Amino acid sequence: MVDTSTEDLPQPSTQMSDSARWSVGPVAATPYSWPYDGSVDTRHLAVICIDWQVDFCGRGGYVDRMGYDIALTRAGLPATARLLAHARGTGMTVIHTREGHAPDLGDLPANKRWRSAQIGAEIGAEGPCGRILVRGEPGWEIVPEVAPVASEFVVDKPGKGAFYATNLDLLLRTNEITHIVLTGITTDVCVHTTMREANDRGYECLILSDATGATDPANHTAALRMVTMQGGVFGAVAETDDVIAATYRSEDA
Amino acid sequence: MNQPISVGAAPTPFRFDPATTALVLIDMQRDFVEPGGFGETLGNDVSILQAVVPPLKAVLADARERGLKVIHTREGHLPDLSDCPPAKLRRGDPSMRIGDPGPKGRILVRGEYGHDIIDELAPLPDELVIDKPGKGSFHATGLHDSLVEAGITSLIVTGVTTEVCVHTTVREANDRGYECLVLSDCVGSYFPEFQRVALDMISAQGGIFGWVAPSSSYLSALAPADSPTTA
Repeated sequence: MVDTSTEDLPQPSTQMSDSARWSVGPVAATPYSWPYDGSVDTRHLAVICIDWQVDFCGRGGYVDRMGYDIALTRAGLPATARLLAHARGTGMTVIHTREGHAPDLGDLPANKRWRSAQIGAEIGAEGPCGRILVRGEPGWEIVPEVAPVASEFVVDKPGKGAFYATNLDLLLRTNEITHIVLTGITTDVCVHTTMREANDRGYECLILSDATGATDPANHTAALRMVTMQGGVFGAVAETDDVIAATYRSEDA
Repeated sequence: MNQPISVGAAPTPFRFDPATTALVLIDMQRDFVEPGGFGETLGNDVSILQAVVPPLKAVLADARERGLKVIHTREGHLPDLSDCPPAKLRRGDPSMRIGDPGPKGRILVRGEYGHDIIDELAPLPDELVIDKPGKGSFHATGLHDSLVEAGITSLIVTGVTTEVCVHTTVREANDRGYECLVLSDCVGSYFPEFQRVALDMISAQGGIFGWVAPSSSYLSALAPADSPTTA
């Protein structure tokens, strides 16, 4: 079982033995069995968790305090926690991303600031959990249910995509990652932008429908359907348990 | 200095200075748009994309007359496919793969007839043509450098398809700080449902990726401005 209490950070639930080797695939996915090349050794597979931040999905965070229903953005948390426990026990690389800006807002494009002000959530202004979308503030932190553990990468990004103006591509290439499983929020904005960037860079991507979520359920559904068109234009779609079920011990060194 | 132009758009009026604005035409290639091309062989109804051509032709003519910077993009790969990721080449079970001989030449290969832009929108010699290996126009291309060099900060975005290459490019541009106006009747999708949803996604949440307006609003906003033919 995964510890989802807010008191302590999650710890790896399974200690991986040094000699164990694991692979994933084929995963029952839409529109094709993922990955395209049959299976992938978990040493070449990264789970990327996009923007599970307090201000977007945490109790007392910005979205919550503005009176919106955070159930929609929290919907993917249990599945993501389950996937993380599985990933940590089977040698997958885990990467977390956070959207945010430097305290002096030196990396905030003028139009992004202007638009955030238009909807009453100006980036850099005081919010219910500190300055909105500013690095180091409580609202910018990742929620405890899916918080990083030591040794996991955390990528800070100024935009919607996790590749632009970050070291994500360098991290992936240096660690010989070729396949990516995506969780996070929101499906149609930051998760989709990152998936598109990853796909153009040649990474084989799988997005998990039950470990993602959007403020508008229709956009969540449409974004997932877009992935499946034209034979999988950006990759494929599956559920968390499909990945877990398709993971097997491949050999012992 | 030009007066900023204001276009009635969703979610708010889009303001731009033509001197710092480029018109971008995404992937208006024969293989995607014309009957008998690769897109049609995949089972898509290309007539929906054909509807984009007349309004886009008018927007292009206007941009050329006003001296707006015009940029065309083409998706495609080198003849030896060395810039095509295996995941893109081998994914799924299509009837034709990239590099295969198609009705208008090798599928998505640079230099082939089907890879080039349709005659109605053919680039002029002084217009920038960006060849891209992916869906986005920024990754692995010189587009960002060219825009910086030319002092461009706003993009008028057109082309196909709305939810794939247009959306990916707008997302890339937005993260880089460009202001994007997507012309709703000058972008097209094989799937009407995605056309609607993808346009809504751009202007949602205060314009999270940019602005959306029909080309009629864009052209009428430009019309009262100083034309290059008058003093």
